[in-house]
Amino acid sequence: MQKLLAFALLLYATAPLADEGVGERLAACVACHGKSGEGVRGAEYYPHLAGKPAGYLFEQLKGFRDGRRVNPQMAWLVQFADDTWLREIADYYAALPPRAHAADTGADALTPERRERAERLVREGDPVRNVPACSACHGANLAGLEPGIPATVGLPADYIVAQFGHWRDGVRHAIEPDCMREVARAIAPEDIRAIATWLSQQSNPEGTRPAPAGSFTPPTSCGALHTETTR
Amino acid sequence: MKLRRVFAIAALVLLPFVLAAAAVVGVLFARQGGFAPYRVPHGGGRAVAGDAATIARGEYLARLGDCVACHTTRGGAPLAGGRAFATGIGTVYSSNLTPDRDHGIGDWSADEFAHAMRHGVARRGPLYPVFPYAHFAGVSDADLDAIYAWLRAQPASDFVPPPNRLEAPADSRRALIGWRMLYYRPDQTAPLDPSDRGRYLVEGLGHCAMCHSARGERGSLPPEGHFAGGVIPGVGWYAPPLDSVQLQRYSEQQLADYLRDGTSPHGSAYGPMAEVAYASLRWLTSEDALAIARHLKQIAPSPLRPQPTAVAAQTDASGKGADVYARACADCHGKNGEGENGAYPPLRDAVAVTAPDPINAVRMVLYGGMEVTTTGNPRPHSMPPFVQQLDSAEVAAVVNHIRRTWGGQDSRLTDDDVDAMHGIVID
Repeated sequence: MQKLLAFALLLYATAPLADEGVGERLAACVACHGKSGEGVRGAEYYPHLAGKPAGYLFEQLKGFRDGRRVNPQMAWLVQFADDTWLREIADYYAALPPRAHAADTGADALTPERRERAERLVREGDPVRNVPACSACHGANLAGLEPGIPATVGLPADYIVAQFGHWRDGVRHAIEPDCMREVARAIAPEDIRAIATWLSQQSNPEGTRPAPAGSFTPPTSCGALHTETTR
Repeated sequence: MKLRRVFAIAALVLLPFVLAAAAVVGVLFARQGGFAPYRVPHGGGRAVAGDAATIARGEYLARLGDCVACHTTRGGAPLAGGRAFATGIGTVYSSNLTPDRDHGIGDWSADEFAHAMRHGVARRGPLYPVFPYAHFAGVSDADLDAIYAWLRAQPASDFVPPPNRLEAPADSRRALIGWRMLYYRPDQTAPLDPSDRGRYLVEGLGHCAMCHSARGERGSLPPEGHFAGGVIPGVGWYAPPLDSVQLQRYSEQQLADYLRDGTSPHGSAYGPMAEVAYASLRWLTSEDALAIARHLKQIAPSPLRPQPTAVAAQTDASGKGADVYARACADCHGKNGEGENGAYPPLRDAVAVTAPDPINAVRMVLYGGMEVTTTGNPRPHSMPPFVQQLDSAEVAAVVNHIRRTWGGQDSRLTDDDVDAMHGIVID
């Protein structure tokens, strides 16, 4: 028993704290991603980071640094950061509570037909075009799946549309096989805005975290499922 | 008959001019090294040791020369080239240095490599002077051989960099002979003395003067502008002078630590210097860092360097700059621009604040930055971008306020000036 206690104490002592001053070092991130990675209210474009899988965030940070994702401001900030530091940044945001509220994009309300279409695509996909349901990989609650699939619930609509564009144009790359590239190329362009608007209007009031790795099985073996974990 | 006489007289009159012109061309040609640089040695010759110790030494030297940074694109195969360099005459792309025989330099002998490094001429002709051959000319044989050995040991890539996009006549490599005749003086780049380690590294592989000197016409580096500081061609950042005056506030140890850590009590590396710190200087041994620091701190100021201004601190009549400062900057940089050691750089006497060119200050305010990760600073601090929060008039006001108050600069930026400086320059 004593041994167990000592072991527990040792674990506690060596476990990294949630924030060893990481937050104060990340002042640059706050301007766009909010004080706690929750995004910035108002005219939103930038995605929230809080509570997303650490593996996903780490992969994106490396992507901006190494050219697999393109955003000059992000590349500017992370271009001289090594993996160890990027991992720590990813862990920091992953540990924060997921954002509960929907994006406040002021997006035009969807017509009932478009809303119905968007919901069907999210839940069932588009069998005609061979597009899987969003929920098949991002989870029934769209809160994501460890280690590499992010939450899509409540993301700003313009951000989602831009990502589809980046995948279609080949400027955003995920680990191969890059399923989202195939989805973005297969999906009907007019459906992208509908899905994006619908997703931006969803909230996550319980602050549901990404599902643990392996807790459900997506239809295809995407590279994101094999994302390097940060620990 | 009459016509022939006219020609004869004309020829007699012109002859001295033609002879004079030929003499000038001859002298200029001789001053750029005569024919020797164009006799590129092909194949054969010496064998270079490729043992582990030589390769390791070559790796260290190649890092000091920062070969990888210029000869690699973002996310591309290391040393395979293709990085774009904007110049006044168009874009030059770096070449493939990997051992690929067709697309890299796998086919080059050690002599051919040393020749390109020393003279800036390869088998395809003269190289564009974005390649710092004038500096590498002073590097010792042994060091060039070690770099060669290391390059040979790297993975080959068959990547083909894009062709240069240059205006005529600069698109012709022959025109480079003209440029060399006007501006290249190999006698000024005599072999450097390796035992004077600081100078050897600064003037040789370090090629610090490529950014920290005042440029002359057509991208030349006139000797009087050596280490006088200036705007870096293509990227627009201002690089400060490197001399005893500029570096007075650093102790030798502080400067050595800054080179290796990318940060110091006087400020952190940003812009192109951050890349140099990350890709090159953080690998310096402490002895070499100290040797470089000692050398830099005793360089006599160039006559072309900006003179430290005697303008007394001026205040901004409208108070707008001070207002923005209090709201956006004072939390980290302090009420009096004093900063906080180990976290936030002081603004008083910072390069961006005292420089004659405001570009660094404006860019930092617009786009923020993150210090480089180094062994000495593994968890760096960062500065937020303010481009979304402040409009150009506010950026102008706060930069004017900072530069007037703590930099002695009579800064009169307008919102139009700031607009013109918008845009992240990346690769």
